[in-house]
Amino acid sequence: MNLSYRIGHVFYRNLMSYKRFVVPTFIASLIQPLFYLITFGIGMGAYVGKLGGMPYLNFLVPGVLISSVMLSSSFECLYGTFIKMIHEKLYDSLIATPVSAEDAIAGDIGWGTFRGLVSGTLMMAVAMAMGVFPSSVPSLLLSFVLMIFVGVLFGSLAMIVTSFAPNFDFFSYYTELILTPMLFFSGVFFPLDNFPAWMKTFAQFLPLTHAVEISRAVFSGVYKTGLISNFLVILVLEIIAFSIGVRRMTKRLIK
Amino acid sequence: MNTIITANNLFKKYGDLTAVDGISFEIQEGECFGFLGPNGAGKTSTIKMIHCVSPVTAGTLMVDGLPAHINNRVLKKKTGVIPQEITLDIDLTARENLMVFSRFFDIPRRVARERVAELLKFVELEAKRDSKINELSTGMKRRLLIARALLNEPRIIIADEPTTGLDPQARHLIWQRLRQLKRQGATLILTTQYMEEAQQLCDRIVIMHQGKILKEGAPSRLIEEEIGREVAEIRIAADQDEALIAQLGQFACGHERAGDTLFFYCRDGQSLWRKLNELDLPNTVHRPATLEDVFLKLTGRSLIE
Repeated sequence: MNLSYRIGHVFYRNLMSYKRFVVPTFIASLIQPLFYLITFGIGMGAYVGKLGGMPYLNFLVPGVLISSVMLSSSFECLYGTFIKMIHEKLYDSLIATPVSAEDAIAGDIGWGTFRGLVSGTLMMAVAMAMGVFPSSVPSLLLSFVLMIFVGVLFGSLAMIVTSFAPNFDFFSYYTELILTPMLFFSGVFFPLDNFPAWMKTFAQFLPLTHAVEISRAVFSGVYKTGLISNFLVILVLEIIAFSIGVRRMTKRLIK
Repeated sequence: MNTIITANNLFKKYGDLTAVDGISFEIQEGECFGFLGPNGAGKTSTIKMIHCVSPVTAGTLMVDGLPAHINNRVLKKKTGVIPQEITLDIDLTARENLMVFSRFFDIPRRVARERVAELLKFVELEAKRDSKINELSTGMKRRLLIARALLNEPRIIIADEPTTGLDPQARHLIWQRLRQLKRQGATLILTTQYMEEAQQLCDRIVIMHQGKILKEGAPSRLIEEEIGREVAEIRIAADQDEALIAQLGQFACGHERAGDTLFFYCRDGQSLWRKLNELDLPNTVHRPATLEDVFLKLTGRSLIE
């Protein structure tokens, strides 16, 4: 893989174009998770009462926060990258410079990660405003690290999808059939404890489940050793997804 | 003159499709070299291999002493590409487009700022520096693409159909700029479907068809060799051909029937023209031979799609 520091140049390009869209994207990446927090957290929370010894809103925040990272980085590397590749033909001019196709794709995954980090940070601010805090300052810092890992993972997975996509509509399969259902099977809205055994096993194959586990620990302050394996799952998946995503996209760009 | 690009038995295949079918050519430093050909002739595939964005399937391609290769960042630093399609960054202004692109070449920001200002002046877009791309006309976009291709002060400039879709004013401005770059010592490689463009700009051309090079040489020499100096076009029904060729054939060095027209090619058209006047045929045109005649003769007159 022909990667270099020029990944940063691609990131810079995205940053330059981003400054025009900051406000709309801030709003967009806040709306959906906020919607979940308000409807589920406050509306349903009134009925649910306490869950696992805490108010429902407190249960909800860690999962919704990390899902917003997942969605932002995914969308950026699906729609964002597709527009740049097919409609703007940006990559065609990029790869004629010393920036390699691999640099360009990795730069975009980095960018997707940044977008995820921005969404997650905004959600964190909202959560704090609603009175839900990470357990400590180191936990808060850990949550940012987690957001970066989750961003790279879902950015890379989205890149694999984009590398196959013939058109925009294709992305619906991924978002509707994989990402959205994942929200419900990964313990974001309710604990997995009451699921039948096979569903629990299934949930272990979903990367979001592991991210939610760690995010919960960030807020509860209860760090069990099992979290290491959660982290390792994310890390391994991420390395695999990144290398497949970059390779597949490079193949699509260079003919 | 030094040879700057050498291709030897060069092939490009996309799956089963052979786009470039074993061509060889040499390009000298400081010349303007043109690839002419109808759609699908393999021109763009060839130059994409030269500027290292498309891998060579077989054969050798040396650019400035180095093998052209998709990961050859050294070569990519030396080449400037004016692409066929408008690949400007529509999220950025004209100036930002150039600033961001200069970053891709690791040009320090201070140097870049000066160079961008100079280049915007060079392509007469100073007034539009802060305009968004979709506020620019096609001609302006093309000029901005030229400025972008020059950011890294390339020794080799590759222009893929640089004036497609432009009005005459815009086209002439681009030609002037390209000639100016050549005078400054750059090697210019051009693909075009416009024969006038090739005649205006190129020292030497190759005519490509179906992945192969049919002819190579200076435009004027190719016209002279393939066609002669003058052409008479007679729009007349095909059943008259035999009679006309019997009468006029002796004054011409060749003739061809295409659609509703009978063409006579000749070195010196005076006697032919005199004879034509005697015959008093309606619908005749007598004109100098052009590269277009060569092109159509070699690549055929039927539509290529």
